[in-house]
Parts: sequence; structure tokens; C-alpha cells
Amino acid sequence: MRSTKRLLALILAGVMALALAACGNNGGSSTPAPAPSTPASGSGTPEPAPAPVEQMLKYGTDTWPAGFDPHTISAIAATRVFNQVYETLISFNPDMTYQGLLAESWETPDDTTYIFHLRKGVKFHNGREMTADDVKYSFDRILGNTDAGDIGALGSSASYYGGIDSIEVVDPSTIQFKLKAPNAAFMANLTSSYGAIVPKEVVEANGGSLAAIETMCGTGPFVYKDSVVDNYITLEKNPDYWNAGSPKLDGITYYLMADESTRLAALRTGDINICSLSALNLSEVQNDSSVKVLSYQSNNYTYLGFNLSSPKLQDKNVRQAMSLAVDRDAIIDYVYNGEATVSTFVAPAMGHWVWDAPKESPLYTKNIDEAKKLMEAAGYGENNRMTLTVAAGLLDSIRDTVVVLQQQLKEIYIDIEISNLESGEYVDIWGKMDTPEAGFDAMCGQNGSGTDPNRAVSFFFSSTGNANVWGYNNPRVDELCAQGVATTDEAKREACYLEAQQIVIDECPNLFFASPMEYFFVSAGLEGFAPYAANANDFNNITLK
Amino acid sequence: MRSLVSTLRDLWKDPMGRIGIIGIFLLIFMAVFAGQLAPYPYDGIGMKFQPPSAEHLFGTDKFGRDVFSRVLYGAGVSLEVGIIAVGIGAGFGYLLGLVAGYFEGWTDRVIMCLMDILFAFPSILLAIFISAVLGKGIGPTMVAIGIVNIPVFCRTVRAAVISAKGLEYVKNAQSVGVRTWPILVRHISPNVVAPFTVQATLALSGAILTEATLSFLGMGIQPPDPSWGSMLAEARANMARSPWTALFPLLFIVVTILVFNILGDALRDVLDPKLKV
Amino acid sequence: MRNYIIRRLLQLLPVLLGISIVIFAVLRLIPGGFASGMLGIDATPELIAQVEARYGLDQPAVTQYLRWMGGVLRGDFGQSFRSGAAILPEMLDRFGATAELTILAALISWCIALPLGILAAVKRNSMVDRVVRVAALLGVSIPGFALSILVILLLSMVFNYYPPLDYVGFFADPVKNLEIMALPALILGASMSGSVMRMTRSSVLEIFRQDFVKTVRAKGASEGVTIVRHVLRNALIPIVTLVGMQIGSLLGGAVVIEQIFSLPGLGLMTLTGINNRDYPVVQGCVLFIAFIYVLVNLIVDLLYAYIDPRISYD
Repeated sequence: MRSTKRLLALILAGVMALALAACGNNGGSSTPAPAPSTPASGSGTPEPAPAPVEQMLKYGTDTWPAGFDPHTISAIAATRVFNQVYETLISFNPDMTYQGLLAESWETPDDTTYIFHLRKGVKFHNGREMTADDVKYSFDRILGNTDAGDIGALGSSASYYGGIDSIEVVDPSTIQFKLKAPNAAFMANLTSSYGAIVPKEVVEANGGSLAAIETMCGTGPFVYKDSVVDNYITLEKNPDYWNAGSPKLDGITYYLMADESTRLAALRTGDINICSLSALNLSEVQNDSSVKVLSYQSNNYTYLGFNLSSPKLQDKNVRQAMSLAVDRDAIIDYVYNGEATVSTFVAPAMGHWVWDAPKESPLYTKNIDEAKKLMEAAGYGENNRMTLTVAAGLLDSIRDTVVVLQQQLKEIYIDIEISNLESGEYVDIWGKMDTPEAGFDAMCGQNGSGTDPNRAVSFFFSSTGNANVWGYNNPRVDELCAQGVATTDEAKREACYLEAQQIVIDECPNLFFASPMEYFFVSAGLEGFAPYAANANDFNNITLK
Repeated sequence: MRSLVSTLRDLWKDPMGRIGIIGIFLLIFMAVFAGQLAPYPYDGIGMKFQPPSAEHLFGTDKFGRDVFSRVLYGAGVSLEVGIIAVGIGAGFGYLLGLVAGYFEGWTDRVIMCLMDILFAFPSILLAIFISAVLGKGIGPTMVAIGIVNIPVFCRTVRAAVISAKGLEYVKNAQSVGVRTWPILVRHISPNVVAPFTVQATLALSGAILTEATLSFLGMGIQPPDPSWGSMLAEARANMARSPWTALFPLLFIVVTILVFNILGDALRDVLDPKLKV
Repeated sequence: MRNYIIRRLLQLLPVLLGISIVIFAVLRLIPGGFASGMLGIDATPELIAQVEARYGLDQPAVTQYLRWMGGVLRGDFGQSFRSGAAILPEMLDRFGATAELTILAALISWCIALPLGILAAVKRNSMVDRVVRVAALLGVSIPGFALSILVILLLSMVFNYYPPLDYVGFFADPVKNLEIMALPALILGASMSGSVMRMTRSSVLEIFRQDFVKTVRAKGASEGVTIVRHVLRNALIPIVTLVGMQIGSLLGGAVVIEQIFSLPGLGLMTLTGINNRDYPVVQGCVLFIAFIYVLVNLIVDLLYAYIDPRISYD
């Protein structure tokens, strides 16, 4: 039946393509036909009871992963695939407490010692049992301490675990980490996919590289099966997974579908049953019973970062004026269809770590008159307007944000010239944003607050922070960052980070706008999936109906 | 050499030519008077996703910008990119073709080898590479598309020059020591006008299409400048929900390219004396 | 004939050499480097230096180029920086998809354009002629990416149909493969058919005027026989030239269609390579595409000999 249907559709497709070619654009405005009762399934005959739905998750992904080495790559397109294959010692619960994955339990005898008791009987996909030696090997590889005397995985993962002094295998199921100094972010960093546990023999058999897709061999719930580059990746259920009864799916296939509108189309026809889409599509599926939406508040936020080597931006008045001129609610309305929260660089999802700038900071209330005054004080006016070259990051939402900003800042004598960056040049230009070489006065992008305020604050705004590419330097912020990570006393840490946030928000090295909701658009029959900011990849309980 | 007036008169006699002339005229009118015709500024944001109405003839886009006004301004951007890009291609192509055809020998070989190199790059990839090097926006996009267009023009001119050199009176002039290249320029110019004009019209349609594709890939015109291609690219995610944001720019792209193609065809019929059966 | 082929092949060398230099230089002029792109926002200058050293990017450009060319001349296009996979086998794999798409599109465009072009020529300046020409030109006038998305949306909404997502090669599963290829090939074919139709029409018109056709007609041969036996054969020459050029440019030119339909072809490979700044991949792909292009054009030139006995190669 299905093949006849497909043939018919195909012939019609041909006719339509020709008809379209022949009569310009009379199509496109047609109304959607009611979706047929069932998405095409495998069964061919009409009478017997409906065949059980195939438990294969079909995932429409927007970008082909740039590599499959968990210690090298952290881009979401890649982690969403290899997080099903590789596992870390621990992970986050929705309430930001920790749960054990490969570690069953852990203890911290003192500030700088962490002992993990590993789960027994966990097997890599090649059948060998995972032991403490593999944990040690994995971290040695990350830190570049393997026998090969190599530079390790040659990725940024080393920066996550730089504070590790020594790693010791106590017994086959116990491993002990010694830190150089107390580091409150250590546990949170272990949840990162950078901390994946990999088998030594596989790494060595592949000349030290895990970049190729066939090398994927972890302990996770799904096993690599096959793939066609730039087209699809199939993972199948790991029958020996340590968590018996999990996963419920038989497998996952990721299909590359670069275009948002085609992903939605395929979701509607049932050719895929999960994909991420922007909020602009929400109203489109409102009345569609075949599609449902799962959302969670991300810990991402959007920002406009200033190149502080540019003299005109060294004037704090100018930066504050921009913060006053921005209508963050309007950005949220236009760009996210209202589905986002006003944010600073510590996203609202981070709970008690957040300083409530929208309430507390005067810079978060739109005030054009005040903004104009500040600009005029800095010497600008209707006849002496400022031109700001802005590079826009990779997401459509970022590009849209800049268009709205451009209109809002017009009012305070600022003309924005936009240049949308593509992925190849983005990081390079971002890294130069404290020099004139960047070629831009500002960059608009999206960052992740991470799971610990150390990442959110120090990494982005301390003068030594790796992601402080703006040339921002405030000794008090540096001091607070150092104090915040050197203690595990939550109350003390909170005080440090809250103060640091106030300073940064007042000085405006970046403007911060919104923390968007993230969406999975799934078919109505998909159940058992509850994504949250710290873990949007747990497919273990998914079933398809 | 045919006079411009008689060419136009012949063109007007052909119904296809007439459609072409009227279409181009309307297009230029749109482009020139966009500022007067457009009811709203092209970048003014407002109520988003309004369907077409008396207030917003073509509806509004995701920023609430008036699609009709943007389409009008877009005519200017698309025409500007097209005309200047083809101008660059035709200008450099003419010079290089003249030089190659006149000197022949090594000069010819080097120039034609360069043209072959440009030609062997698929044009859209070449445009992607060039705009990646030059940057984005209207200027670099025009240059990128212009460079892509050089080889075609270069070959046309070179062929005309070489065949002109074979003519008796050019040879005679050469033998009595007269510098021949002023003669060539004067002689070949009328000969290349026909293929050149036809080529240019067709290249214009190609340039507008390439600009749309580049903008679709995010490398061409930057926001908020309203080229039809970038409007289409911005609207594609909302195509099912608010088709007017995509269909109107698309309609104008299609009609414009069609008009240039029709005009090119008609021009060929008129200018190519061989076809006068 | 053999000498001609050898001479032509020799002429290809400087072109290919030039292309290799141009693409090598252009890639290094493009802002953004491989290392910073791979490492992302956690990168440090030291780490970037290490990565560049690992991939030989710290060497002088001339050394890098010679090393790469040395490999290519031995048939080794190197490995992808990103995936570590050997490039040549993957290019050959990808070439399969692109070549199939190109050939299908060309066939479709002939099926549309040849009959229409002849019809337009025979009925020159009639209403039929004009309608055919405008219809064919419409195909060229719709940007392929827009037509692709429109067709996908319409099919999914009206017929609840989406083409298969998981690519299979033609030889593995011909039926499914053709189902995957159908839409992109139709769309590309429609866009090619305009210029083929135009070329057919004008070359048929030209042949009509030649004396031998007039003679044949005067002898009372029927129109159909005249067209098929005498006109078409002679009209084919420029059409073959055009198709050769089109096939060549489609190899990399189908990149947008490949992206929308997720066809694992050469164009998409090149585009992904550009985005990742995966230098050896982009260099290899461009050189490979250019090589195929010049080869196709050579074959087209040789085909003339068979179609048109008046052309001789000495």
C-alpha cells in the first residue's frame, strides 16, 4: 500500500514541479489537508491488528557533527549524538543535584580529594568491562599525560580539568582525584561531555584519534551502527546496558535536515519524530494534533559584547546608554515569539545564583531620555551619530536580535551595520574581539551560563577568563571570582558571585538580553522524554506509540 | 552598425520584445521611485505577521516590516547588484578578450588559461569563495558575481577579434605598417555589440539569481537591506505559516529574471542578422 | 586523433595547476582558521598553536602547498582534518550521488527541452512558439532553493509525503534511490531545460535555412522525416556543447539543492568543508570537480567528431 501511495505522491510531485515551473507561484498558499489518521507504518494489509510501532527514534538534526571525539568537540550537533554512546562519571538531576552514571557513589574526604566508586559490570561496546584504569586513561588523554607523551585529545577539554593534580587507581572499581586547590566547579565539570570515559585500546588502535564516527565505543545506552556522511547516523540499542530495562527504544537515527521548514514538514508526515525548532513555529503546530512541543528553560543567554579596544566604546556612558535604550521585552516578542526570559549572563535557570537585574538594575528599564542624555554627554547627537559595526553569530535568533537592536539604538544616535558571520569565521573573529583586528565594534551571540557560576562569571568576565575576549578587566571582579571557586561553602560563593554580577552589569562590557526557551517538536506518539537544561539528551525512557 | 532606435523599433514589433521592454521599464521605475512609492520605510518594525490588507498590501514579515515597501526597495538592490556585477564582468571581459585576441601567442594563452581556471570553478562555489574572502554586503557581492561573469564575455570578444583580424582590410592595414589595434577596436565593436548585449541581458538574470542564492546561504546582502533573495531567505522558516513573506519576493525574482530572459531572447532575434530568414 | 587528445590533455595541466594554486591561496585568505573553529570558545592561543603544529599549518605556505601537491600527484589527497578519513575514497563515493543527480537532471531537461525546442522552431513566431519559450524560461527563472522548499512543503501538506531521508546508492536499492533523487533531479532538470530549449530552437532554425534542408524539402520529404533525419543531427552540435558545460557546472553548482535535500554529494562536501575550514577537503573537492569539468568538456569536443564529420582533428 505504502509504495503505491509513494508512487502516486511522486508522480504528483513531478507534475507539480513542472506546474510550478510553468506557472510561477500559484502554489504555497494552499491550506494544509487534515493529516491522515496514521502515519504510514510498515504493515501492508489492512485487516490484522495494528503492528506494533517501530521503536526507532527518527531525529531531524540541523548540522552534521564536526567530529566524534568527545574530548575534542563540544558543539551541540556532535554532543547530541555521542552523548548517547559515551558516558561520564556523574550527571545532573533536574534540580541540579548530582546522580551517578559510571560512578555509583563518591566521597570527598577533604577539599581537594574526590573518590569515586565505579559501577561494576559496566561494559564498553566492544564487550570489555570498564574499570578505574579507563577512567584514569581518559583523563590522562584529556590532560595530555598518556604514554604517547602526546598533546592528548588536542581539544579544549583540558581547560575543564586543569586543576587536577593527580589521578590514582585505588582498585579496579575505585578512583581518586587529587586537586591542586579547592575547586567548587570540579563536580559540575565532570558532568560535561568532555569528561567522557573512553577505552584505551580503541584510541590506540586509531592512532590516538576518535574523530571518525566508526571509532565511537563507549558505555552508553546506544551503540553506533552505520551512517552515510552528511545524511544519516544510526545508533542501535545497547543490549548489555548497565541500567537494565533501559533504553526502551530499539535505536535512533539522526537525519541531517539543514532547513527548519523541511524539518517541520517531515515531522508532520511522520518521517521524523523529533527535532528542535525555533519558537516562531509554535503557532504553526498549535492546532496540529500530530505534533506536540516539549520545552525547557535553557541556561543560554544572548549578549552584545563590546570590543573594548574601540575608543568610542571605552566610554562607560555609551555602553550604559545602550543598555537603557534596549527594550528587552520587544526583543523577546519579535525574536522568540514571547518565549524567553529577560536575562543577564547568569541565566534565570541557575536559580539562587542569579542577581535579579531586571528588578534591581536601573539599566534594565528602558529609558530613552536618560539614554539620550548619556549619549549627549559623550558628545553624540542627531548630527554626530555613532556607527557601530556588529558581527552577528550563527543562530537565526541572534541575527534577528541584531535587526531589532538596530532599530532600537537608532533612537539614541547609533547606526548599526550588520554582518552575519558564518561558522568558519565565527570563533576566529570572536577570539579577536579585544583588538581592532576583529574588524567589528561589537559581536552579538549566545553563550551558555553552564551549570556552575564559576563558568558563568569567571570564564566570561574575569581578566584571565578564557572567554573574556572583550578586554574587560576589573580587579574586584577578579578577586571575587578567585574567592568564589576556592571555597565549597555555598553561601560564601553566592555572595561573591552576586557582587560580581552587579559590577559587570553596571559596567556593561556586554549587554545581556534574553534566555530563550528551548523546544523539541515531537510527534504525538512520543512519550517518556523530559528534557531539562543540564541534560536534554536522556532518551532512555522514550517510547513511541 | 544598427542604430539604437531601429533596434528598439524592431524589438517593439516583436511581442516578446515588447513584454521585455515594458517589464524592464516597470522594474527600473520601481527601483528609482521606491522611496516615493513605498508607504513605509523598509526597515521600520511594527506588528508582525500581518496578512495582506489595504494597509499592508503584501502583509508584514516577522519584524512587522511592510513587505510591499521592502519589495520595492529590493528592486533597487537587486538591479544595482545585477547591473554593476555584469558591468564588472563585461568590462574586464572586454579588455581581456581584446588583449588576448589582439596579441595572441603567450599573452593569449595566459589569459585564456586564467579564464579556463575561472570557468572550471562551478559559478556558485566561486561566488561563495570570493565573497568569503571579500566579506559580505552589497559591494563584495557585486564584485564576486562580476568576477564569475568575466570569462563568458572575454571569450565572446576574443573570438570576434580573431575573426576580424582575418579580414582583408585589417591585414592590408597591418602590412602597410598602420597600427591595427585602433582599427580593431573600431571594427570589432559593432560586431560584438550584438552578442554582448544578448549576453549581458542573460547575465543580468543570472546575476540576480546568484545574488538570491548567495543571500539564501547567508553570504550576500546583509540585514536590514532588502534584497529579494535575502527576504526569501529570512522568510523561509515561516513559509507555511505566513506564505506572503516568501511568495511576494519570490514572485518578483521570478518575474524579473523571466523578463530579462525574454528580452535577451528577443534581442538575439533582432540583432542576429543570420536569423533573418 | 590521438595526437589531438594528447595535446588537449597537456593543455589541461596548467589549468589544473592554476586551480590548485588559486584554491589553496583563497582558503588561506578566508577569515577564520581550522584550529580556532575546531576548538571553539574554550580555545587558548597555546592550544591553537598545538593544533596547527599537529596538522602542519605552522609550516610556510609554500611547504604546505608542495606537500599537498606531492600527495595529490601520487594519488593521495590526504585526510580530512576533522574526521581523519581519507579524502579520495570519500570524494569518489560522493561523486556517485552528484553524478547521478546531474545525469538525471540532464536527461529530464532533454526530455522537456528537445521536443519543445523543435516545436518552437517549426512554429516560429506563432503563439505556440511564444508559450513554449516563456514556459521554458520560467524554469530558469525560479531559484532552485525556493522551488525545492515550496515543493517539499506542498507535498507534505497535501499528500503527507516526504521523500526518503536515508540515502542509499543506486546499486544498493535502485527504486529507493530513484525515489530520493526524483525531486531534486526534476527541479534541477526544470531549471536546465530553459537554456537547452533555447539552444535547440535557435540551432534548428539555423539548420532550416541551410541549402541542403531546402533541397530535401523541395524534394518533397515530409516535415517529420526532414526534422529527424537531417535537422536534428546537425542541430545537436551546439546542444551537446551546452550540455557539456551544464554538466560541468552542475557538479558543484547543485550545492544548494544538495543541502536542502541532504544529498551526500560533492557540493555539500565542499560546503561543509568550507564551514569547517577543513582545508584538504575543500582543496581536494575543488580540484576534483574542476578535473571532471575539464574532462567532460574534452569528451564533448571529441564527440563532435562523431556527430559532425566536417570537423577533423589532426
